[in-house]
Amino acid sequence: MGLPENSHRRDFLKLGALASLGLGLSTVPSAEAKPDPRDLKLLSVSDISTTRPRPAGNKPVWDLTTKPTEKVRVAVIGLNRGRSHVNSAANIPFAEVVAVCDIVEARAKGAAASVKKITGKEPAIYFGDENAWEKMLDRDDIDVVFVATPWEWHVPMALKVMEKGKHAFIEVSPAVTVDQCWQLVDMAEKTQRHCSIIENCCYGDEELFVLNLARQGFFGDLKHAECAYIHNLGGGVLWSLGSEGDWRRDYHRFMDGNLYPTHGLGPVAQYMNIGRGDAFKFVVSVSSPEFNLTQYRDKHQPNGGKHKDEKFVCGDMNTSIIKTQLGRTIMIQHDVVSPRPYTRINALCGTQATFFGYPGRLAVDADNKHPILDPKEKRSSHEWTYEKEKLANFMKENQHPLLKKIGELGKKVGGHGGMDFVMAYRMLDCVRQGITPDMTVYDAADWSAILEISAKSVKEGSMPIQCPDFTRGGWKTIKPLGIVS
Amino acid sequence: MDPLEPGNRRDFLKLGVLAGLGFGLSAIPSAEAKPDPSQLKHRAAADIGAIRPRPAGNKPVWNLTTKPQEKIRVGIIGLNRGRTHVISAAATPFAEVVAVCDILDDRAKEQAEVVRKQTGKTPAIYSGNENVWEKMVARDDIDVVYVATPWEWHKPMAIRSMELGKHAFIEVNCGLTVDECWDIVDASEKYQRHCPILENCCYGEEELFVLNLARQGFFGDLKHGECGYIHDQRVSGTGPKGYTFLDAQREWRRNYATILQGNVYPTHGLGTISQYMGIGRGDAFKYAVSVSSPEFGLSQLRERVKPDRDRSKDQKFVCGDMNTSIIKTELGRTIVVQHDNTSPRPYTRGNLLSGSLATFAGYPNRLAIDADNTSPLLDPKEKRHSHDWTYEGDKLKKFMATNMHPLLKKLMVESKKVGGHGGMDHVMNHRLLDCVRQGITPDLTVYDAAGWSALLDLSDRSVRDGSIPVAYPDFTRGGWKTLKPLPIVS
Repeated sequence: MGLPENSHRRDFLKLGALASLGLGLSTVPSAEAKPDPRDLKLLSVSDISTTRPRPAGNKPVWDLTTKPTEKVRVAVIGLNRGRSHVNSAANIPFAEVVAVCDIVEARAKGAAASVKKITGKEPAIYFGDENAWEKMLDRDDIDVVFVATPWEWHVPMALKVMEKGKHAFIEVSPAVTVDQCWQLVDMAEKTQRHCSIIENCCYGDEELFVLNLARQGFFGDLKHAECAYIHNLGGGVLWSLGSEGDWRRDYHRFMDGNLYPTHGLGPVAQYMNIGRGDAFKFVVSVSSPEFNLTQYRDKHQPNGGKHKDEKFVCGDMNTSIIKTQLGRTIMIQHDVVSPRPYTRINALCGTQATFFGYPGRLAVDADNKHPILDPKEKRSSHEWTYEKEKLANFMKENQHPLLKKIGELGKKVGGHGGMDFVMAYRMLDCVRQGITPDMTVYDAADWSAILEISAKSVKEGSMPIQCPDFTRGGWKTIKPLGIVS
Repeated sequence: MDPLEPGNRRDFLKLGVLAGLGFGLSAIPSAEAKPDPSQLKHRAAADIGAIRPRPAGNKPVWNLTTKPQEKIRVGIIGLNRGRTHVISAAATPFAEVVAVCDILDDRAKEQAEVVRKQTGKTPAIYSGNENVWEKMVARDDIDVVYVATPWEWHKPMAIRSMELGKHAFIEVNCGLTVDECWDIVDASEKYQRHCPILENCCYGEEELFVLNLARQGFFGDLKHGECGYIHDQRVSGTGPKGYTFLDAQREWRRNYATILQGNVYPTHGLGTISQYMGIGRGDAFKYAVSVSSPEFGLSQLRERVKPDRDRSKDQKFVCGDMNTSIIKTELGRTIVVQHDNTSPRPYTRGNLLSGSLATFAGYPNRLAIDADNTSPLLDPKEKRHSHDWTYEGDKLKKFMATNMHPLLKKLMVESKKVGGHGGMDHVMNHRLLDCVRQGITPDLTVYDAAGWSALLDLSDRSVRDGSIPVAYPDFTRGGWKTLKPLPIVS
């Protein structure tokens, strides 16, 4: 659970043995074989919870600063999802898209052309086979590589990116397994490169507003949060060939848990200072039966019936509860197949206020004396104090400084309502200034780890599974995230 | 995890020993000592889910019928919450309130007067001490006893009522521990009396609407439900400066926050979801996991208000403000149940039902319908996609009116007039008393009372043991596998 770093002799030895068999971290092969998600290393109940010792010579990166630079040179791998990052970077004055990469030629050329249209300069193009990205990484004029490929490629690509001296910005989920999470942490600490999860939802209007309030103590003592990824993809995206239908549905065939935890969890983890004063302690997880993918397939026979033998094991609705070291609770759900509208829930409960998203609502305790409130206003917590227009006004008055600065540009450039741009701008600006990004490799690992941990809990009859501490005790002293200005 | 009935020899022996020591069911003393909640017996995780063997001679009551009768004679204990039942019964033509009982003289007299005004007949009054209810239940002209007292009294009062030949209608929660739940099941089966839980929320408008749809297969395959009792009870009451929870009269309820750590009030949300899913009738709770947040609400309120001349100043509240439990059912479905009555947020019971063909969410009401849903209730020409709520606001109200539950159609006007939580108290009372009148099995049975209440103890156990999954006892002793689903009441 929270054992001191040095006491894990048994695991240390085990790691040593793996390394000598050529499976260790330092041995990223020169041409990556196509990763098969079914070969992912899933850990036992005891190993999944173990905090691994820090390899000799590695140093934490939570305060990592780098040399400020005028121009941040960007490359992007995976131009389906990555197209948004290409567009963002091309619209940022201090960024330059120097290379784009995709297995599909047309996608690579299309992205390159769009950059040319915006900036007048055409980036280098890499495409055509599954290892083209490795050639791109050999370039010495790239500072940051966005990894926006199918999940199974995230970790091998990010590891290689950092080995080659670049910062890795990885799409969600950065890792599928806890073992992969450790690989990311260890590589970032070894190479002293940033390895950020690019969780765009942390930069949504509503999320930044709640974060801003939470940082100012508006909610009082935080006790509970709820979040989710509830998005009906079961009649569309998951069957769409040439896109996510090629690989994403596959995870529903061998994992039963929360397959996509970070969109909801990232913002909530930031509200609660997870990794910076608090930490995930354990997770319990329960899945419903599987119905909708099978029923949709049987009824509509997508893609000419070629999926008729696929057996789906992932329960339609997964509900997990995370308990934190400070005793707080976080309920997190995943459902991408049920007939219901999109929601990330985005709820935060404190002693002085409660926020809920979808639609946004804020209840403020009668005794809340926060200076941003009108002291003459009468409040009763039996109603939402602010919703609709009234909330919109309150949100405007208390807009996060980051949004004040670039929110409008974000709306213009777009990408999930602008949050993709706000995120890319902020993260690249951190690299420009040489400061630590808001999202670190520890966030990437903490948030992603829920995927395998929830699946493990489900498999074990909903037993609580202890979370490993990727900061290796650092969360106790790392300072909370500042209010970015 | 789910030991089968015949295999429970160890528990059988243990029970035998207890019975021999005079702790068995038959040993209810003649004058009840005041029950002390801090002395409740909480079972260890290993045997909390065990099925207590059915005592020889007892018979299931899930199909219990009784002799039809023209008039149902009612006695009511506990006239704070019980007031609503007095009003309901007095307004029901085939019911007669023959006796009312409260520890406070004024409250008893006042309710007797309410009945007299409504019906012209004054019921007998029992008041003045903690054991006066025993005299009332000893009368031989009562068919149904309502038990609406502090939680610790529910079980002894209900069991005595049944022992003396009455049906016991128990307010929520019905049992505080799994043992208490078994005790009421065994008493009901022994005396062949009904022992329904008075879960009024099962008779709310939107709940009956969802139940009506669910029974007609509108939701397709049911997979998931969410419910809760989220009600900020720190404020808006009658206590000092309006702080309900610090009211001396509510001290008994606040005290549970010093003893229990899980969901101390699970049934308002869980009852309706259980009915949607046919729990006890084709499906059953398999296990529960539970996690509590830290406690802040009561302590901070107490520090601020210093109520009751500080008489609560040394109380240590151990119940986390927000408890979230997840129940897994035998058919694999999941139910999230939450409890929070000290946080600054508006009331909600959640009331979410998720199926393969539709999703309903309450607070506010919203219904999303799958494009492939071909229910005859739907206009086949209507275009739908599940990225929006198909019906909400006025559109949903219209759809709810079109598909109103038959019971509500019958009682809508009358119940609004009689009132009680927007009318649902009266719909419930009318329906349950009408079942007794007809001699049929009530919609809510002792198995529901036990199954829904047991989450209180099970969640407490799970929280205490680091949120391990805790096996759910099967109060139907296997009956759920063959019991028929609840019919659509007409």
